[in-house]
Amino acid sequence: MAGPTRSIGRRIWQTLSAVRTGIILLILVVIASAAGTFILQRPTTDADALQRAYSPQMLAWLDRIGLTDVFHAWWFALLMGLLCLTIVAASIERFPNVWRFYARPYRRADSHFRSALPLQKQFPVRDPEQALAVAHRVFQKLRLRPQHIVEDNQVSLYAERNRFSLLAVYIVHASLLLIFLGGIVDALWGYRGFLALTNGQQASQIQLQSGATRVLPFAIRCDGAGQENYSDGTPKRWWSNLVVLQNGREAERKQIVVNDPLVFGGIRVYQSSYGSSGQLDKVMLTATPARGSGAAQDISLGQDQRAQLDPQTSVRLVRFIPDFVIQDNQIYARSNQPDNPAIQLEVTTQKAKEPALVWIFPQFPNVAHDSKSPYSFKFRDLRMGYFTGLQVSHEPGQWLVWAGCLMMALGLATAFYLVHMRFWAMLVRDERGRPALWIGGACNKNRPAFEQRLHRLLEEVQTELKQESPARASSREASLASV
Amino acid sequence: MARTRVERQPATSSSLLLVLVGLGIAFLLFMAFLNVVKSGNLFTEANLLYAALIFYGGAGALYLGFGVTGTERYVRYASLATWAGLLANTAAVAHRWYVAGHPPFASVYEMLLSFVWTLAALTLVAEKKYGVKVIGTVTMPVAIVGVVLMQLLRTEVHPLVPALQSTWLHVHVSLAMLAYAACALSFALALMFLIQDKMQTETFLAATSLAVTAGYLGILTRFEPWGGLSVAAWDAAGKQDMFLSRGVRLFVTIPDLGWLVGLVAVAVATPFMCYLLAGWRNDERFFAIANRAVFVGLLAQILALAAFLARANGSYQSPDADGLFPTNLAASPFILSGLVGGIFISLLYLLLLWRRADLERLLPSADALDQITYKTIGIAFPLLTLMIAAGAYWANRTWGAYWSWDPKETWAAITWLVYAGYLHMRITRGWRGRRAAYFAILGFAVVMFTFFGVTYLLPGLHAYA
Repeated sequence: MAGPTRSIGRRIWQTLSAVRTGIILLILVVIASAAGTFILQRPTTDADALQRAYSPQMLAWLDRIGLTDVFHAWWFALLMGLLCLTIVAASIERFPNVWRFYARPYRRADSHFRSALPLQKQFPVRDPEQALAVAHRVFQKLRLRPQHIVEDNQVSLYAERNRFSLLAVYIVHASLLLIFLGGIVDALWGYRGFLALTNGQQASQIQLQSGATRVLPFAIRCDGAGQENYSDGTPKRWWSNLVVLQNGREAERKQIVVNDPLVFGGIRVYQSSYGSSGQLDKVMLTATPARGSGAAQDISLGQDQRAQLDPQTSVRLVRFIPDFVIQDNQIYARSNQPDNPAIQLEVTTQKAKEPALVWIFPQFPNVAHDSKSPYSFKFRDLRMGYFTGLQVSHEPGQWLVWAGCLMMALGLATAFYLVHMRFWAMLVRDERGRPALWIGGACNKNRPAFEQRLHRLLEEVQTELKQESPARASSREASLASV
Repeated sequence: MARTRVERQPATSSSLLLVLVGLGIAFLLFMAFLNVVKSGNLFTEANLLYAALIFYGGAGALYLGFGVTGTERYVRYASLATWAGLLANTAAVAHRWYVAGHPPFASVYEMLLSFVWTLAALTLVAEKKYGVKVIGTVTMPVAIVGVVLMQLLRTEVHPLVPALQSTWLHVHVSLAMLAYAACALSFALALMFLIQDKMQTETFLAATSLAVTAGYLGILTRFEPWGGLSVAAWDAAGKQDMFLSRGVRLFVTIPDLGWLVGLVAVAVATPFMCYLLAGWRNDERFFAIANRAVFVGLLAQILALAAFLARANGSYQSPDADGLFPTNLAASPFILSGLVGGIFISLLYLLLLWRRADLERLLPSADALDQITYKTIGIAFPLLTLMIAAGAYWANRTWGAYWSWDPKETWAAITWLVYAGYLHMRITRGWRGRRAAYFAILGFAVVMFTFFGVTYLLPGLHAYA
């Protein structure tokens, strides 16, 4: 016989489906999660900070147990898996009972039930048939749909509301599983990475959080990005004009801002940051002929761009340093911010064999120009090139998560605020054997409100019965008279 | 003048407080009016808040008077004053919303503004709908502390950084405020249940003493060698913390305050020690000593608060940098709330000690309180769920991930799990009464940690509030 194995299996099943197991797992998950917020975590904290915070032995131990990355540790996944299992087991264990209750509602109150029901009332009646009709009318008046139940040659009334609220708990538990499922799908098939683009650049490779790279099934090109500021200088809006290129063709185009991503083929591209790339976009200059009386003209140059000043002369931007320092007679860049720019131009004329090199330092406008140049240049303005930081993520499971959230909201609202209420009305005999109308009610939550509702129903029945009986009496007299 | 008041006192003892509070409100409003006339601008946010503070103060005094004397008449006038304060507060919120162009949830100041409003509104709801009249004794002092704290914080309207410009943010934060307010209510109701459930006054003694001691031990983590107390340096012109380098706060040491806080910690821990001794020696006399120690502890706490208030504004040396650096009350909101909170808790205990019979007469029955607590959590739990879902949706639209195990997220989930545990124990295992009340109190403690503790102790993405 398979006795012992069956009993072991059954014992495991009973343990899994016990509320106590669920609560213990809940407590363990809480403790583990709390630990994950107090102990510095690996992917978000950089290695240096961890080494500063903990001693080497401590760190080695924390790493070994997985406490430096609790939420991706195998035992955390195991805990969550077990929690899911207990939810499933407990639901399966309890479902048949609830389903029986749901599928076969208790429609006719027998004498045992009547004696045990706390909310009930009995009205003495003269004409039983008429009394049941009154009850039917009142039920309908209070917008309950009474059903006629015929059993043992006796008719009784039954009405109920919100029976499906009995199943709400299962909806909530199922929604939780759905959310977990979404999380698992994303953990297995989803990814998240970063991509920085400058104006006009295109790329299809993203940097994942783990440090690896991943190639997207399409390329993204940035056709411009920018930042708008509030008057106090804090950023108000970051935007990027993105183009999705698939097989070299433009497949989609959208301006994204923070909170409004581009979605293409299940992959979302988010505006995440914005900053200076250290590259020049354009410098605006005024060129004036050094000798003679030519007109001054405004030119704008990008890196390595050439502009024609007159038929014989052209100028090219050869070097741009956003923030220069001079050390040992050499010019170096100190930062990517255009705080102290240096611009070098190359002026080519047909007459001179060698081009003239001109340095412009906008912060030091009095530095003398190269006398060999046929033009002198005055700095007007410059525009820096910027990169836009894009967060790219693929989360195929997110729709499961949102569906789960919606389902849970509906389930919780049903579970907490919809009351399953039941009303019975039937003809009985009181203790002295006279006919009576018995009305009872039951609810599964919020009893005070239900009691008020039942009270209203009972009062209605009482007044209707009172209106009924004189009429009945007079009609009976009339019928007697006719006889 | 003083003599006539003394003579009248016995005859009109219940009117005296009313008259005093009424005169106080009238006087303060008149002074404020003179100020307004001089500046020529009536409906500014500061004025509205000032009016709210005056009315809440009056309401607090009357509720406290009701708590101490049990005179029903006070409550009527107290709720009248609360209505007036709520009106001014509503106007302040509306003004803020209009000027900022977004609902007032974006900074700590704005959160406090909304929180105080919610608290006052809930007080009136609890009083009118559920008949829990004494609740103002607890909530009004909290509202007053909130309004006073607001005066110390940055008040100028900050434009929203790009990540916060989302309707989902407002949905998320409104839900959070509602859910947390419901949790706070369930906490207060659970405490009242414990009073009605004939929990011994001595147990409250131990619990309050332990809570206050924990607060003082928390402050003592800032203890510096040679008896100083370390507080953050404060840039008065910019109304913000001073930083040593990016992300590293500059701390200064107020000398001698550390010792004082240590001594007061011993004083507030004494009642708990006496409680333990009474249990160990089985001697009732220790309770009498403990109650006296609470009183001494209260005086010591007031002394500590006074010393802190006197010394918190000034320039002190820092262990990390040379020279004197200024600090301000506003730089240490947690020490301040710890000190004020401790006094408040001790006062509540003394109220219970002296007026327990009145409280029991005034509060609804234990069963009713148990039911209302459960109902409140029945409201809080779905709100918590929706709040987390809205937050996840917002995060997904902003950062491309709906869940990243950020400390705030994790603690929100823990809060949710704790209340889920409560509901399971109550529904499937039939937990009622004491155990359910303890669970409700635990739940609120976790909420408080999620709201304050995570923001200030644990770093993360959720850096707004």
